[in-house]
Amino acid sequence: MANDCTTVGKSVPRIDAAEKVTGAVQYVDDLQFGPSLLWGKLLHSPHAHALIKSINASRALALPGVKAVVSGKDTPKPIGLYLKDRTIFPVDRVRFVGEPVAGVVATSEEIAEQALSLIEVKYELLPAVYDPYEAAQPGAPLLHPDLGKYEVVNFIFPEPGTNISEHFKLRKGNVEAAWPQCSAIIEDIYSLPQIQHVPIEPHVAVARWDKDGQVTLWAASQSPFAQRDLIAQSLDIPHGNLRVIAPYVGGGFGGKAGISIEANVVVMARAVKGTPVKVRMTREEEFLNTNVRQSLFGRYKIGVDKEGNLLAMEVAYYFGGGGYNEYGTNIARAAGYSCTGPYDCSNVKGDSHCVYTNTQIGSAMRGFGMPEIHWGLEQIMDRLADQIGMDRVEFRKRNCVRTGDTIVTGMKMPNIDLVKCIDLVARGIGWGKKEAATGLNKCRGKGIAIMWKAPAMPPNPGSSAIIRFNEDATANVFVGGQEIGQGSFTVMAQIAAETLGIPYESIRMTVNPVDTRYSPYEWQTVASRLTWSMGNAVKAAAEDARFKILDTVAKYWKEDIKDLDIKDGVVVSYKSEREQPLKKMVVYGLPNENFEGWQGGPIVGSGKFMPTYVTNLDAETGQGTRAVVHYTVGAQAVDLEVDTETGVIEVLKIVSAYDVGKAINPDLVLTQIEGGAVHGMSSAFEGYIYNDKGLMINHSLVDYKIATSMDAPRKIQGEIVESAVEDGPFGARGVGEHVMVQTAPAMANALADALGIRINRLPLSAEKVYLAMLEKGIVK
Amino acid sequence: MLHEITFTVNDEPVTLAVKSHHTLLRVLREQLGLTGTKIGCENGECGACTILMDGEPVNGCMVLAVEADGHKIETVENLNKSGELHPLQKAFVEKNAIQCGFCTPGMLMMAKGYLARNPHPTEDEVRQAIVGNLCRCTGYIRIVDAILDAAKEVA
Amino acid sequence: MQPFDYYKPKDFEEAFHLMNMPGKTVYPYAGGTDFIPMSRDGFWKCDAVVDVKALPGLREIKETPDGLFVGAAIRMNEIANSDLVKSHWDVLAQGAGSVGSEQIRNRATLGGNLCTASPCADTPPALYVLNATVIIRNAQGERKVAIADFFKWVRQTAVQNGDIVVGVVIPRPAAGAFGSYVKLSRRKGSDLSLVSVAALTFPNGKAANWRLALGAVAPTPIRTPAAEAILEESSDEAHIELAAKSAADTSKPISDVRASETYRKLMVANMTKRAVRMTLSRREKGG
Repeated sequence: MANDCTTVGKSVPRIDAAEKVTGAVQYVDDLQFGPSLLWGKLLHSPHAHALIKSINASRALALPGVKAVVSGKDTPKPIGLYLKDRTIFPVDRVRFVGEPVAGVVATSEEIAEQALSLIEVKYELLPAVYDPYEAAQPGAPLLHPDLGKYEVVNFIFPEPGTNISEHFKLRKGNVEAAWPQCSAIIEDIYSLPQIQHVPIEPHVAVARWDKDGQVTLWAASQSPFAQRDLIAQSLDIPHGNLRVIAPYVGGGFGGKAGISIEANVVVMARAVKGTPVKVRMTREEEFLNTNVRQSLFGRYKIGVDKEGNLLAMEVAYYFGGGGYNEYGTNIARAAGYSCTGPYDCSNVKGDSHCVYTNTQIGSAMRGFGMPEIHWGLEQIMDRLADQIGMDRVEFRKRNCVRTGDTIVTGMKMPNIDLVKCIDLVARGIGWGKKEAATGLNKCRGKGIAIMWKAPAMPPNPGSSAIIRFNEDATANVFVGGQEIGQGSFTVMAQIAAETLGIPYESIRMTVNPVDTRYSPYEWQTVASRLTWSMGNAVKAAAEDARFKILDTVAKYWKEDIKDLDIKDGVVVSYKSEREQPLKKMVVYGLPNENFEGWQGGPIVGSGKFMPTYVTNLDAETGQGTRAVVHYTVGAQAVDLEVDTETGVIEVLKIVSAYDVGKAINPDLVLTQIEGGAVHGMSSAFEGYIYNDKGLMINHSLVDYKIATSMDAPRKIQGEIVESAVEDGPFGARGVGEHVMVQTAPAMANALADALGIRINRLPLSAEKVYLAMLEKGIVK
Repeated sequence: MLHEITFTVNDEPVTLAVKSHHTLLRVLREQLGLTGTKIGCENGECGACTILMDGEPVNGCMVLAVEADGHKIETVENLNKSGELHPLQKAFVEKNAIQCGFCTPGMLMMAKGYLARNPHPTEDEVRQAIVGNLCRCTGYIRIVDAILDAAKEVA
Repeated sequence: MQPFDYYKPKDFEEAFHLMNMPGKTVYPYAGGTDFIPMSRDGFWKCDAVVDVKALPGLREIKETPDGLFVGAAIRMNEIANSDLVKSHWDVLAQGAGSVGSEQIRNRATLGGNLCTASPCADTPPALYVLNATVIIRNAQGERKVAIADFFKWVRQTAVQNGDIVVGVVIPRPAAGAFGSYVKLSRRKGSDLSLVSVAALTFPNGKAANWRLALGAVAPTPIRTPAAEAILEESSDEAHIELAAKSAADTSKPISDVRASETYRKLMVANMTKRAVRMTLSRREKGG
């Protein structure tokens, strides 16, 4: 279908590029607060699990330049998004090495640092548990004995008396009856450690608590409104008195969603009323203290019939949620209702658990449970295909979800075309064509993996937008979602321009910073939801403004509004062919004949979007009318080589295809695909390493390595599929997370193709690969 | 210990009192308000603080401010000093080589310094040159393309 | 970072006076690429640093009758890009060129690489196969320490309080010498080595002499005389295999956050083979 839009569907230039490329853009750490700015530092727990017996800050407070020390006694009230299992500072026990135990405010960074060593904390060690499967067993050390008393949303089901903070159950059909009918069954365990987002901008926040009770928080944040809500509740600040200001974010990937250090900084500011306090995480603190992607222990049992149709799936997921699972519970839930991966299977038994472990807090990270479960799913699908002698691509095409399928939770699959995605990547990677390695001692292979993901949110996350005009017919668009690099501001500008009928260049995204005082509400910049949800709100606001303009001009011309349109900033009548430029009239209105009064006035459009159709799921079966708003699906194929002298994997090419519904800005979709491919590849090599006392020992960029320009594949090919989604602007849905979900298993599958080796636990380190080759006799 | 240093920053002479243990990165940002250069790790690993010292790319976090005495420092703010975007900046914009933008200043300065030394690099050479500049958003492809493109104009 | 004082002496007399201030811990300072991270992390605590970059001779790189002199304050990029170094001491240029990133190499110095004495440093293996000598000066005078005696243990060297490393002197290898530095790391660039091998061969009449040095697999860099002897018998494939195994047997790697002992030992063998083959290939092509 031809694209008859003027802006939507075009790869217009990014609206934020020019200011970012000159260094003029201000991130939180660049904001100037003047010489009165105080410095905050956090004292981190050295123990994985311990009771806090006492905190003595007297020596620290006596150090000249120290203004305040705060700790759990100052923060008794719980905080948390889905499950309120935390306090801002721990009150009676610490639950991971790195947990902030106290905060110091001082006149300089050096003094704050010195003061940390003067705070005396007495701990009583408790037994710790790190592995999620172990932590889920009876008899494991209990991290949250009061789990039953925590406030929790009605779609999360903790099991008090255990470490299980969420248990999602999926029961569909009858797996027990199906096993005997399977001609091939694969049963195995796949697992992975924690990894982290590693945005180049570390977490940083500044807070000021004025003496009149107004509180301002500047934060590198994906969630200004959610942070306002959670902090306001926990510190008893009226929402209208807490202002969160969130400028451009230097990379988020979920790590700056929800709460990490922001609440701590507000508490520190409260102790020095009237003066701003800044806390910036060092890179080491980023690793030790801020949120991570959860570890996973996954049990899989999947069976097919002799034609290769999936017959039964039984999965048990144990996510290592860390010391506090207030956000992570929803990851386990999302993994539960999507537990099959993008496959059609009538008999499913799924149990997805979020489990407390004495490790960093597992929270939102790109993929939100999907990368974790697809690691095992996609390798098993490969193995099943092999076992019945079917091509791995054909197997996926046979079994993948299609539009209209009744999926695992009982809902009907909205409009998608995963088969097309699979075909595109298979063709792009040269599937079936064995290609020569690029050198001696190299072994080459290709792998494919498919994925799905729905935005994982509460059922009612809202977006809103306001549009207002200036005299020169430029329009200010106000939203509450963040630009974290994904291009959201650009896409919103396109949607607004298209809907209003004005040029893209006339839009002014009035959003840097997002400010909860002025910006309209946006739930969070997560879940790949902005293009879709905030886009709907912007479209609604633009339609509202458009109607108001057309209504004014229709009355002015005495014509039927149905014959009017706005094209390129001019109202036109298809009937009379009259024209009325938007300039000035969008503020001043239009005069009646002989200036007998006026029509119209300043045009302000407002709009909202909140899904109204997501339903509850049965607590025992996970079945329900509509579990999620929609799914984005995609396929990825990888061509890689292994150096048989070292085990080092080099990825030569990645081909990705994602069904985005509608690419509002095709080139920006491609940039997400490229970045995601490299992020996904990097994630296959990353992993938190702990010593036996729960200390993460690779807590710097020296030993936590992320992909560099030399590691990234030289060839990344992105393909865009567009099966319009019914509830998105111009048919669009999100893709920001999906692009890296299945890269790790695609690589594992390529490794199997190259060497016949399967690795069940990430990371795919050279050492692991080499030792596997040795064990298999591929090298001596 | 305080030192009075005199150096050139973005072609302007500057005299400043700096503490011995403060890095050039901190002094540029906190005393001169040049916040274009970013703090990413302060350990010489991420390259977000790359600046030019006498035309050579260095990590500002790995130089003591006092060492800048008598030297020529250039930061990202200098690239479009004339009012026009530098060819590297134009190329980054045109190629959509910017997402969150946080690594961008470091990438630009690294590229500028490198192209002065090697005006006609291959793709591989560019990748080697920016290996100390981490980017989590773009996957590097557009950045490499932009640098290769700009090299033609800069040469 | 906790505060310290900074001095930049113009001559050695002033430098030694500062280095020997009573009751003060004073560190020599050059590139800062080890000092700043270590000081920031609190591992190195000092009252003052003495910047050696202005001291006479430390920024020199020149050929002398004794061999190539590389001043302690010469930077990695200067070594890697130097036509002089590449002319006869190319394996050192390769080692220096593998350090960190461009930004690091524009600051990190040879002297710093030696004095920090990390077992995985990239210039020492090359210096070992080139039989370099380290020149150290203090208030009492100057002394020369053979590279094989310079490293004592992990992060421990022959440098004492009050010493300043002035540079290294590297004799010119025999004509027709070729060398390779092979570094195995987790990532393709800007990473510490898990295992590194420097190999050097030069003609000795009709035969060839071989020198092999390993990095990152013992508390200090080590030569592998047994492996060298095997290669001096012959450098055919069978001997390369044997030499590789011998080198692995000589190595004493540990398991740490980067790699296990098992893997490192296996990689010593494989990287030795790689280094020897690369060297033979260079020799064949004539350099």
